[in-house]
Amino acid sequence: MSDVSRSTIARAALGPLAAAVLIAVLTTGAVPPYQAYSVGLAAVYTVLVISVNLLAGWAGIWSIAHPAFFAMGAYFAAYGSTHGWSLELVVLGAMGCSAAFGAFLGGVGARFSMLYVALLTLAFTMVSLEVMGQWTSVTGGDQGIPMEKLDSALGLGTLASAGTQAQYIAVGAAGIALGVAALARPSSLRMRLVAAKSHPMAARSIGIAPEAQSALAFAVSAAFAALAGVLLALVVGFVSPDPFSLALAISLIAACILGGAGTLLGAVVGGAYLTWSPTAAESAGIPQPILQGLVLIAVLLVLPGGVVPFLGKVVRRLLRRSASHPPALADPTEPFIEPVPAPSSTAPELLRLDEVTVTFGGLRALEGASMSVRAGETLAIIGPNGAGKTTLLNVLSGLVGGGRVAGSVQYDGKPLLRSRATARRRLGIGRTFQHAETFPELTVLENVLCTRRRITAQNRARAAELLDRVGLTHVADRYPAELPFGLHKRLDLARALAEEPELLILDEPFGGLDAGERTLLARQIVQEQRRGTAIVIIDHVLDDLFAVAHRVVAFDFGRPIGEGEPGKVLDDPRVRTSYLGEGGTRGELPHRDGTERVVVRLDGVDHAYGGVTALRGVDLAITQGSIVGIVGANGAGKSTLGRILHGTLRPTRGRREADGDLRTALVPEGRALFKTLSLRENLEVAAYAAGIRGADLRARLAETAEWLPSRLRERMGVPAAGLSGGEQQILAIARALMARPDLLIVDEPALGLSPAMVDEVYARLGRLAHEGMTVVLLEQSLTRAASAAHEVAVLHEGAIAVRGEPSDLTFLARAERAYFDGKDDAAVAAVQG
Amino acid sequence: MDQFLLVLVSGLASGAVYGLMGLGLVIIYRATDVVNFALASLATVGLYASLTLYDSGLPLLLAAAAAIVLTASIGLVARETVIRPLAQGELLSALVMTMGVSLIAESVISTVWDDQPRLFPSLVEGSVSFGDSAIPTQSLLTIAVAAVAMALVAYLFGRTTIGSAMRAVAESADTAQILGLGSQRIARIAWALGLGLAALGAFLYAPRAGLVPTVLSAPLFRAFAGIFLGGLTSMYGAVIGGLTVGVLDNLAAVYVSAGYRDTFVFSFTILVLLIRPQGLFGVRTFQRV
Repeated sequence: MSDVSRSTIARAALGPLAAAVLIAVLTTGAVPPYQAYSVGLAAVYTVLVISVNLLAGWAGIWSIAHPAFFAMGAYFAAYGSTHGWSLELVVLGAMGCSAAFGAFLGGVGARFSMLYVALLTLAFTMVSLEVMGQWTSVTGGDQGIPMEKLDSALGLGTLASAGTQAQYIAVGAAGIALGVAALARPSSLRMRLVAAKSHPMAARSIGIAPEAQSALAFAVSAAFAALAGVLLALVVGFVSPDPFSLALAISLIAACILGGAGTLLGAVVGGAYLTWSPTAAESAGIPQPILQGLVLIAVLLVLPGGVVPFLGKVVRRLLRRSASHPPALADPTEPFIEPVPAPSSTAPELLRLDEVTVTFGGLRALEGASMSVRAGETLAIIGPNGAGKTTLLNVLSGLVGGGRVAGSVQYDGKPLLRSRATARRRLGIGRTFQHAETFPELTVLENVLCTRRRITAQNRARAAELLDRVGLTHVADRYPAELPFGLHKRLDLARALAEEPELLILDEPFGGLDAGERTLLARQIVQEQRRGTAIVIIDHVLDDLFAVAHRVVAFDFGRPIGEGEPGKVLDDPRVRTSYLGEGGTRGELPHRDGTERVVVRLDGVDHAYGGVTALRGVDLAITQGSIVGIVGANGAGKSTLGRILHGTLRPTRGRREADGDLRTALVPEGRALFKTLSLRENLEVAAYAAGIRGADLRARLAETAEWLPSRLRERMGVPAAGLSGGEQQILAIARALMARPDLLIVDEPALGLSPAMVDEVYARLGRLAHEGMTVVLLEQSLTRAASAAHEVAVLHEGAIAVRGEPSDLTFLARAERAYFDGKDDAAVAAVQG
Repeated sequence: MDQFLLVLVSGLASGAVYGLMGLGLVIIYRATDVVNFALASLATVGLYASLTLYDSGLPLLLAAAAAIVLTASIGLVARETVIRPLAQGELLSALVMTMGVSLIAESVISTVWDDQPRLFPSLVEGSVSFGDSAIPTQSLLTIAVAAVAMALVAYLFGRTTIGSAMRAVAESADTAQILGLGSQRIARIAWALGLGLAALGAFLYAPRAGLVPTVLSAPLFRAFAGIFLGGLTSMYGAVIGGLTVGVLDNLAAVYVSAGYRDTFVFSFTILVLLIRPQGLFGVRTFQRV
């Protein structure tokens, strides 16, 4: 075990050492017998709390079943002691039986959410209580059974129960258990458990199977709980059902929350608390459950992580060297490295998709998609929102969830669809995630290390080298939450690269990054190209994407609609149309004379989610009675702008000024109807939310029903889920109208609708404008917005690139250019004009 | 056959109580994402208080009403003081918090009153003969009252605007917020309603079981089994799951073994969940990256 560092061994030795000291003190006889008995009990409960605490903290399983395993150990020992079983048989048998049950609970529980695991383990304890009460020939029922001495089969001597010897053994066992746990802490096992707990999806992508992890963790934990049970029987000398109640399960959870789940020291604090809280309550003059309840509530309110992690944080903050060296890597002025040339057309095919179809319920996310990737090739996949790009990546990494996949995928000449998500890592497929799903409870270094089953010195060196390559060395021991978003994305990339994949899948790697970070990422991608890695990237930031890609495939409606070299693919009219939309006929818009009042104005608005910038320096004025189109690709910041105009989202910087009595209503993207509610109820709820009650509500309902097309008016009682997409969109607009807004904001009204329905929805919006409503359209399609709005603003990466009136043809040409690259190029306008 | 009828009626009566408590749990869970472990012990506080009022001369029906109001009020106070300060979506913290509340409530009962079993008065006495068997009137009353209460809940949720609003919040709190629907108000209504239903269930259950501080812990666990069986977020599921558990529990006690009723009920529930993880009426959700 040359891989285990010296500090780990030193830390692991602390537990046994402390136990040895404690035993030495006990042997002097300086401790009165009752106190010595308490110390023995405390040791027993420490072992039990460790087993519950680490299971909760590392594997995320909050078990209510541990009283049952505790009991199993105790009864095993007591029954064995009166039936001539040897010490070894008792200990191994109790731990083995418990481990088997634990593996079952853990394996089954991994399929369920936390609440279901709670029920599953609760059931286990309830059943065990009945068995203890009923199986009197073994358990002695309520009377209980005595615990006799145990003889060693290996000739190690005899262990007497209920005496000082048993107390020493208990203390010694607790010390050893602490030592074992301290050794497990820096192990890959713990990292993989924590990874599987905090992000099962990302864990699968690096080859960790959450089911296996949770079965293993539960088995080990149950075995230790059984060991604690054997020790309990030895220390007390008698076993009855009393200690194994559900109250114990609650106390155990309380002890874990108090000490801090997942920390060894926390487990010791918890064990001590469990042993001495009766005494403490007595001396405080209040019943013990009240003390326990108050402690629990106070800890949850004041120190939600527990006492030990809180103190740890304080100490870390005090010890942290004041200046951590800033990353010296992001230098955007450095010239960009040229991408490696595309592999020759004779290069072997690494990946081939044939007619791949993915359906979620009734929804088709991919429809007969076929394409291929050659070894060493970088393929970019582009397409509008909802084109099926993310689903495609999920098919490749095996994370389709509840979807059904048909068709075939060949990877390296072998069928890929059959292999599980966790196996694909070994096949050489690595991926990143759109939101950089790092494991928050592991340090940066551990996030990379956990991809390995064992942590050898070599693996450590490799991980360190990888962090150096992506520029994370200076934060290797920090936790992701302390890092800005750009570094999260680097970490996500490092994790994907950890095992040198042959096929690297990048899900919107450029999204949310600033210019410097993007340059840096492009360089990383080129480095991977040099290694000969095949890369599949999807993104909406087209410039950066095209700078590194060899070939681009455009998706729409779940299948490829065109492909070509990066510079040329947008010349394909079908590809252009998929973004910009079909040319609608420009309808008759309400007349404006330029004197209209501004109803809402944004001044220098910035918005960021966590560290991710969504909007930058947006100035916008919406005038009374106009239709304003906000146009941009997915991720440009439209929805954020919509929420800020609506007033439900406060911008991080800048000001929103609106008329004092301005009523706004938002129709969210994807309609967001209450699908289980009927049409009428959807409308009622909106009116109720606006504070309208009784007769007013009924009057307004009748009025809005008049506005609906008759095919909806006749179905007011059916659930909204039964409507077609277009009908849902009309209902969603009607729902927004219930509050009689002055300003209506509609987010992507055309998404997923047939062309005829799009026309109907737009015609209705136009009519509302004629009746005096101010409308803001958030649209992916420039052409559609241009045909329907007085004024169009093109949003590109969070900033307004260009704005103007679509009746001006030169403006349209500029807008089209700005849509893709964010530049307002007057030259384009001049040529076109 | 006669015995079977008796067991069935008593099972339905137990199931009606589990159903009421399960309905309370589900209403609170849907509106606020809190699994309210303290539901049973708060309802028990109500029971003890109403018994004291009854002993001091208040008519039983008024004492029952007082129990319901008191339980709902304590629950609201607990929610506002200890649950609301927690961050949204902290499922585990909220559950453990209610465990803490439950510990305190049970201990307060033992301190203010005592641990000795007491009789709890019943609205009706005697039995109704049906063929050869005599069915306790209390069982029939329990079924009838629970049925009326459940029908009122169904009316509230299905036919009133406030009910629609509660269902809307349960379906999507985000959308409700965009519409400007105040979720705190809905949450308070849900807590009061859920605890009121539990107190009603407790009031129907106590005459049969007698009163001790932990009288409702067994029904609470069976109500849990019932709501998981029903699908955790389905109100119909909670009622049907509760009834199923009640009937199974009584059948097991008579025809299998009185000592292994929980083993039977929980094994059945876990088996159903292994086959249908979303429960009988739950909806399977798709996950996306």
